[in-house]
Amino acid sequence: MTKNRLVIALAGNANVGKSVIFNHLTGLHQHIGNWPGKTVEKAEGTLHYRGYTIDIIDLPGIYSLSTFSIEELISRIYIAVERPDLVINVVDASVLERNLFFTLQLMELETPMVIALNQVDMAKKKGIKINYKKLEKALGVPVVPTVATRGTGLYELLQRSVESIEEGETHPAKMKYGGEVEERTEALSELVKKIHYPYPARWTAVKLLENDEQVEREICEINPEIISAAEKLADEIEEIHDHSCSTVITSERYEIAGCIAREVQSIVPPMKPPMRERIHTVTTHKIYGYPIIAISLLAIFYFIFTFGDYTSGVLSDFLYGFEGLFRGEIVRELIWGGVIEGIIAGVTIALPYILPFYFVLYLLEDSGYLSRIAFLLDNLMHKIGLHGKAFIPLMLGYGCNVPACLGCRIMETERERLIAGFVTTLVPCAAQTAIILGLVGAFVGIQWALALYIIDLLIIFLLGRLAFKALPGEPTALIMEMHDYRAPHLRTVLQQTWFRLVEFMKMAFPLIIAGGFVIKLAEVMGLLNRIVDLLSPMTVTWLGLPAIAGIALVFGVLRKELTLIMLATLLLVEPGQTFAHVLTPVQMLVFTLVTMLYIPCIATIAALIREFGWKKAAFITVVEIAFAIVAGGVASRLLTLAGMQ
Amino acid sequence: MELRLSDLKDGESGIITSIRPHHRRGHGEHRRIGRGWGFRKRLEDMGLTPGTRVTVVKSAPFRGPLEIYVRGSRLALGKGMTERIYVEVER
Repeated sequence: MTKNRLVIALAGNANVGKSVIFNHLTGLHQHIGNWPGKTVEKAEGTLHYRGYTIDIIDLPGIYSLSTFSIEELISRIYIAVERPDLVINVVDASVLERNLFFTLQLMELETPMVIALNQVDMAKKKGIKINYKKLEKALGVPVVPTVATRGTGLYELLQRSVESIEEGETHPAKMKYGGEVEERTEALSELVKKIHYPYPARWTAVKLLENDEQVEREICEINPEIISAAEKLADEIEEIHDHSCSTVITSERYEIAGCIAREVQSIVPPMKPPMRERIHTVTTHKIYGYPIIAISLLAIFYFIFTFGDYTSGVLSDFLYGFEGLFRGEIVRELIWGGVIEGIIAGVTIALPYILPFYFVLYLLEDSGYLSRIAFLLDNLMHKIGLHGKAFIPLMLGYGCNVPACLGCRIMETERERLIAGFVTTLVPCAAQTAIILGLVGAFVGIQWALALYIIDLLIIFLLGRLAFKALPGEPTALIMEMHDYRAPHLRTVLQQTWFRLVEFMKMAFPLIIAGGFVIKLAEVMGLLNRIVDLLSPMTVTWLGLPAIAGIALVFGVLRKELTLIMLATLLLVEPGQTFAHVLTPVQMLVFTLVTMLYIPCIATIAALIREFGWKKAAFITVVEIAFAIVAGGVASRLLTLAGMQ
Repeated sequence: MELRLSDLKDGESGIITSIRPHHRRGHGEHRRIGRGWGFRKRLEDMGLTPGTRVTVVKSAPFRGPLEIYVRGSRLALGKGMTERIYVEVER
């Protein structure tokens, strides 16, 4: 039977060039989404080749097919249950042994596969030469040497892949464990063969011996006797080796990987340490490492926000130029204020801020510097239950919370993503900084503005720790590969940036527009005074603010940077008035504290939904609003008690 | 002699003997994987299996992670984790 639609999945370790191959193969025909119900990114694309339409799925970068992380689980369910026509295993030629460990597990899943032996140029620089014909023979799987960044070998890779599917049969070599393990694996797989289970029998047997939670649970439901048989066999192996059975199997698998690697590669290390090694040494240095981080981050910050500020201004001026067309009738004003202003709000956030942010993030990740930053700052971030990588989104939060939230996906586990996402929304963004400086800094005193920042840091620390304690699960300590420095592949970085931006816009725009429409509608229908009355127990009685400030707080959810302008339009009715005439210092401090702590803006809520789903996003939003109001009221009373007016 | 990986000096190497749960819980038998063993599986999957040679390249300041070299690649391991990895060192 021939079919003309094929599915090929890309699988391999992190940072082996999978996404470069993916982007090269699919070009502009790709779609970035999430795996159903998970915060793990799913990249899909299509290409046409020799009359076939081929769907390419880029699986997450992983080191094993156990169940340590959701990524591993997703990958193995996808490969074993969805059964793509072929898996292209992308292998980093310069770290062959570790990569083959993963290859062996793919082979155990008995999936048809082709190996892309990537970065052979990198390997050569490290003095590693690989005889790929020999590797092909040892594994029984087609091997194609590639240099994805230059496009070398990719055509052949595609050709071999399609040929392999057409032939329909692959003969991967059978990897045998040591005698005592092998015997028991065979015995157990005979038992597994008798039941109906989607995974291959031998693989299932190995996983049962390895004590894999998911497989054990599923098999237990079908036939618990197999579990007890597996436990008995595992105990025997443990008796012989004096290590846990899972350790024994992992060791033996690495042993096989090591043997093959040594057989097919020859290493002649270069005489003097290459440039990238020297850069590594300096950038992870006990002393120099830190100023380098500070300078790089400041530069990034400066770049994103100069670019953002300028572009945002130009775009905004241009788009607001059309406002004249929408004056007069109420319907026209509704269209402008309710719909078009929402689009402008979205555009002036997405293009100027999120675009450069994604670009820099992928640049940092691809080059390898991100892992060095994580290495040096790990200890600091552990104080709030996160590890080193969380520093990046946290720092970016000071610019804009939206990209910061989206950046939390660099964390490994769902739990850490959630804590990091929660914490970043508490960081005052550039628009909130404008309020802090423009209101408190200008009219109460710069030392009070500084105090607010310090209080915010303390709150981040406290709430971070609280979330860390409250959320179930183990904290994951840092286990991270620091791959060699390399020049990032610009085209891939640009493509990654663009498709993620599009994905964000699809998510956020409807929400921003809907939010804007509702508020505008309320204004047009004259409901604003009602809202003011409705909010007054909170704004006037509890927070001690003028009733009208309630409107500014509501609008602030839509666009933070407008809060201060809004407050000025509402309060400063007479010419020559400043905030000092209409607000007491206590009121200014309270208003600023509340705007600093409550949910940043509707675009951030959109980002939270995108990353964590409706429920968690709603929870974070409600908690932060409640917390901000409580904190504001408490601050108001404390400051008054302290004798401030 | 047997030491914890965290006790090694920069540049020193050793052969992994075992990965244990937190040292305060004693050195009893821990054959079946219980709760809190996920990290061991993860370490083993990254190539830190018994009998493997590891080299400590350096450690980050303020009790930060360790940079180690194992099976031809470079890893960063959180400090707490390196305290649970035992290695045989010749001194």
